[in-house]
Amino acid sequence: MRRIWKKHVQEVDLDNVYVWQWPVRITHWMTALSLWILSLTGLYMGYPFLIASGQASEHFLMGTAKLIHFYAAIAFTLSVLSRILWMFMGNWYSRWHRFIPVDRRRWWAMGKTLRYYLFGLRMPPGFVGHNPLAGLTYFFVFIAFLVQIATGLGMYAASAHVDSPFRAFGFLVPVVGGLATAHWIHHITMWLLWMFIVHHVYSAILMSQVEATGTVESIFSGHKFVPREDIVQPGYRLAHPEA
Amino acid sequence: MDEASSWFMRELERRGVSRRDFLGFCGVMSTALALPRTAGAKIAEAIENKEKPTLVWLEFQDCAGNTESFLRAGRPAVADIVLDTLSVDYHETIMAAAGHQAEAALAQVVADKPGGYIAVVEGSIPTGANGAYCTIGGRAAIDIAKEVCGGALATVAIGTCAAFGGLPAASPNPTGALSVADAVPGLKNLINLPACPANVENLVGTVVYFLTFNRLPPVDRYRRPLFAYGKSIHDNCERRAHYDAGQYVEKWGDEGHRTGYCLYKMGCKGPVTYQNCPSVGWNEGTSWPIGCGHPCIGCAEPEFWDKMTPFYTHLAGFPGFGVHSNVDRVGMWATAGVAAAFAAHGFVQLGKRMAAAGDKAPAVESKPPRKTDKQEEGELS
Repeated sequence: MRRIWKKHVQEVDLDNVYVWQWPVRITHWMTALSLWILSLTGLYMGYPFLIASGQASEHFLMGTAKLIHFYAAIAFTLSVLSRILWMFMGNWYSRWHRFIPVDRRRWWAMGKTLRYYLFGLRMPPGFVGHNPLAGLTYFFVFIAFLVQIATGLGMYAASAHVDSPFRAFGFLVPVVGGLATAHWIHHITMWLLWMFIVHHVYSAILMSQVEATGTVESIFSGHKFVPREDIVQPGYRLAHPEA
Repeated sequence: MDEASSWFMRELERRGVSRRDFLGFCGVMSTALALPRTAGAKIAEAIENKEKPTLVWLEFQDCAGNTESFLRAGRPAVADIVLDTLSVDYHETIMAAAGHQAEAALAQVVADKPGGYIAVVEGSIPTGANGAYCTIGGRAAIDIAKEVCGGALATVAIGTCAAFGGLPAASPNPTGALSVADAVPGLKNLINLPACPANVENLVGTVVYFLTFNRLPPVDRYRRPLFAYGKSIHDNCERRAHYDAGQYVEKWGDEGHRTGYCLYKMGCKGPVTYQNCPSVGWNEGTSWPIGCGHPCIGCAEPEFWDKMTPFYTHLAGFPGFGVHSNVDRVGMWATAGVAAAFAAHGFVQLGKRMAAAGDKAPAVESKPPRKTDKQEEGELS
């Protein structure tokens, strides 16, 4: 606990809360990094804008792009699966019920958060971890991750070597509606994820500003600094939602 | 057995095919079926000695393209004979009989040899308007298919229409066209030989396999024989090296096109299509679509047409944006739109903050945390 001087008015007691444990932070950055690599190599695979000249045997452009894509995909898959596993092992803030709103309180606060985003409220209802709207968004993001993994594994299995264990994922191809559709879904979902990333970065900065709990910093350090009197219950704080 | 053998050899001689050619054909077949070379002898014995199965060829909603393909089996010439020596008791396009006579021949096969004939189906089966879109001798195609395929030893759905519905089943499917598997559900011993048209080499291969081993060849999840549909066109493509190297045709007739670069950017569906075109070829192995500079259109795949159009772009368009829309362009603009919306949100936020800072009442941070009102307390407790 430490005391800081808040702008203009009063002293506030801040509690140092360890919110994001290291697996959460590592998987976050693993996922972010692999998403970048996957998107860039994926864009080249969809639109090979570099054309090699000379003999085919002298180049391996697409081959390299695919290779990087596949390795990044493995990192991405492991990262996402680890994070999902951590939803059942980690602390309160990382658990599955922070993503799927199972209690009425989170449903109630979701409407408030949405109203805040639409300028109906001056402050969003405060939460130490994910706010309910963010949590639900991440739930859909995880669905999108799994869609990418399923379509990707299916497409990979379709051309995997006969002896490759990845052949086992061939069953995913008809599940997602055939190979051509798998490609299509894979592209669309990438763009959906980029729409999310735009929102994610913006909202992280915004919340850092309005909540002033160190949201952006917390994904590096794991810690948030939360006004003590705001903490009504573990993991839940109320920052004047009607203000 | 001797009699059959001599009959077969006489037939070969009559057509000017030497025994050496015949054994060569059997060797080629064992290769095409991915069997060891020694299987050639077994194939030769089977073809010479087995009693030839009776075959009936049904044509429904089709263009007779597979019949054309069937009649043009030519490499090696022996394939002709294998197909000719199948006792083709009914085939509307090529049979001499017509009208009631023809239908009687079919009825006779079904009545006399239950479970003892091979049914080949070409064309999709329309189910709309109580089957009125395709009737033969006054009977709906679906009734004929149910009766004939239901009583067959094995059914071969030849061509994409019979295997997956094909062109007639493309959206909006006005005739309610179905594949054989969908029209006659629960059909055992069904083999799909899709492609538009199916390559006759694969029909010969299936027949030879059947004659040799007395069972149908192993199939994939779409009931396509693995020897012919086990690998994607892309993975067997002669231009694959250009794909991996990053050498692509970008415009019809450009340098890359003339050099024989990969047709991926021209919308080639090779990566999503399974067939042995690259290795078997068409027109007696003369060439094949990609070999002569045209991208694969994916004619052998389920939902061909709907899922493989437009032919000259890699991916289907985005619903509501027209068939020629580009899913990635739509995605990019949507992402830009989202970014713009959030940027606007940011400006409004900034404006409100500045306005609030100008107020007499200080910024929100200065307010003490409000106690919860009753309703919220109820929620929180």
